[in-house]
Amino acid sequence: MTPAVTWMRARWWLSGCLALAVGCTPVPARTKVSQPGNSRASAVPHALVIDFRDGTPAEEVAERAGRWGLPLRLNSVEGTRSGIAIAEQVEDVDAALAAARADPDVEEAEPLVTVEALAFTPNDPEFSRQWNLRMIRMPEAWELSRGKGVTVAVIDTGIAYEDHDDFVQVPDLAGARFVSGYDFVHDTDHPNDDNGHGTHVAGTIAQRTNNGLGVAGVAFEARLMPVKVLDRSGIGNSADIADAIRWAVDHGAKVLNLSLGGPGYSRVMERAVAYARSQGAVVVCAAGNTGTGQVSYPAAYAGAVGVGALAPDGQLAPYSSYGEALDIVAPGGDTRRGPGNGILQATIDRGDYRKPVLAEYQGTSMATPHVAGVAALLFAAGAKTPDEVERALFAGAVSEGSWNPRAGHGRLDALGALQALGARGPVDWKPLAWSGVLLVLLLLSIQQKLRPGYLNVILNPGTLLPLLISTVGLWFLRLLWQRWTGHSSEAVELLSLPLPDWERILFGRGRLASPIMYSALLPVVAALLALRWRTLRPVVAGLALGFAGFLLYAAWAKAPGIAYLPFTFLARPWLILNGLVAALVCRTMLRREARR
Amino acid sequence: MKIRGTVEFKDVEMGVWVLDGEDGRTYQLAGGRSALLKEGQRVEIDGDVDTGAMGVAMVGPVLRVRAFRAL
Repeated sequence: MTPAVTWMRARWWLSGCLALAVGCTPVPARTKVSQPGNSRASAVPHALVIDFRDGTPAEEVAERAGRWGLPLRLNSVEGTRSGIAIAEQVEDVDAALAAARADPDVEEAEPLVTVEALAFTPNDPEFSRQWNLRMIRMPEAWELSRGKGVTVAVIDTGIAYEDHDDFVQVPDLAGARFVSGYDFVHDTDHPNDDNGHGTHVAGTIAQRTNNGLGVAGVAFEARLMPVKVLDRSGIGNSADIADAIRWAVDHGAKVLNLSLGGPGYSRVMERAVAYARSQGAVVVCAAGNTGTGQVSYPAAYAGAVGVGALAPDGQLAPYSSYGEALDIVAPGGDTRRGPGNGILQATIDRGDYRKPVLAEYQGTSMATPHVAGVAALLFAAGAKTPDEVERALFAGAVSEGSWNPRAGHGRLDALGALQALGARGPVDWKPLAWSGVLLVLLLLSIQQKLRPGYLNVILNPGTLLPLLISTVGLWFLRLLWQRWTGHSSEAVELLSLPLPDWERILFGRGRLASPIMYSALLPVVAALLALRWRTLRPVVAGLALGFAGFLLYAAWAKAPGIAYLPFTFLARPWLILNGLVAALVCRTMLRREARR
Repeated sequence: MKIRGTVEFKDVEMGVWVLDGEDGRTYQLAGGRSALLKEGQRVEIDGDVDTGAMGVAMVGPVLRVRAFRAL
């Protein structure tokens, strides 16, 4: 075959691929408003937005403004490049839109919408007094997770969870989900609360919420496991607590809340905490109420998350312990500032355990269940390991820089943690492995004598880098960034994602993947450029191989849904088709380059 | 052991009585009778520090009171 013929064939292939990719890319429905994952769009009265053809000069826009009688102005510094103009205080929006849509230079005209964060506001009458839940952005976080199916053990004074003997159930826990617990103080199967502390803590984690009664809880669809280790005076011993930690984990708890502590180190308890972690549970502990730079045990053990307390103004509460073992801070209240500044939950009266009350307390015990609750939200949202949960908690926390002894990694933020979980999954190397297997198949499909030439092309930084970017992303960027700055950055998080996921930079994190990025479009366009600039061929080969591996792996791993596709079952054929197209692009590039 | 100090009530958690000790440490009082638990009272306590004890108050070591005398 002469080079000219091969060239013709390559062109034919590439045009075919392009036609296929473009032809198969469904056009987004015109009425659809693009919405980031956690937001809601609503129309702004008397305002509209007009998208002129890109490059429409400002004079033309001004001319239309005069003709239509609209106070049109270009929207941003993007100016004429994007062609997006808006008009406010428009008398008749519908008429103006009709006029604009009739203009051939107008690509789109629609009412202006504001995008606001979605939030769930429960109907519990005392929710308005729960400043603590707003501080950690629960209303927004509840749109993403409510802790469904996750068991949280409350290792404490018990919970007022049932009517039994003298004990009563707190009304605002009626309908909350419970699993069997244990009373290590009296060695019975009825870990009821005779103090009030454990019930208050349990309420912060999973108070019955949106039941028109009392107050709300952080992870109100989680299951509570009452485990009593502290007596009526709120004191217990390290042996019972260590036993209880192991018992709770062995009975299915994924999150352990220990709003308790003491100054004494115990090897037995440290081993119990390590055991809990090794079994996949997160152990969340109160930092202590000494107001000094010494964190209590068990919070100070390596495997535990140590939680300090914040006053309503976000300052460290005066009683809160802090120091080297502090991991995170959460609202714990400051009742010296008067009523309304403590943490309000339903519990039993501290003098009479048969009497349900709403009570405001302060302490690192009150801060701890906020973190335990968010840990449950994270498990319910897909976190698999304690490491993953902790990374998300710390990365999502609001901080003024790196870790410090008075704030740990920062202020707990439920929404931030859930968002960090989404962006910060562990690096998935499988797409790269799929690309490797594909490469072997491609090499087997070509003439034997050319194979060394292909390998030369592949083992070249110009090929390997795009291969890496399109399969696993620049994962090391975020690690380096974290090491240098001590915290995470949204931009770096996104840039460290695989290339097909970069759409999130533009469109935010939705449930559906974009059919433009999750397709062979980018490799095909790059290949067309490589027809003109031949030095690009190795780059395009790497990019296409990466896309092929990524898309085929996505299809195999029960891919995400693809936006705009008319039927959800089309997602996999779509990914397979585009993966094969990308593989062909790679093969074409390799052949052209190896023959050179 | 005998420890001298001032009895105080701290409003953290469920509320807790402590001894602000002359040795500079804060002890959580356990087992004290109501005659002991008076805000600002200077006392000498005969008791033991329970090193294995843990609790909700987390204000310092738990001091199990055997006897006390007002100073």
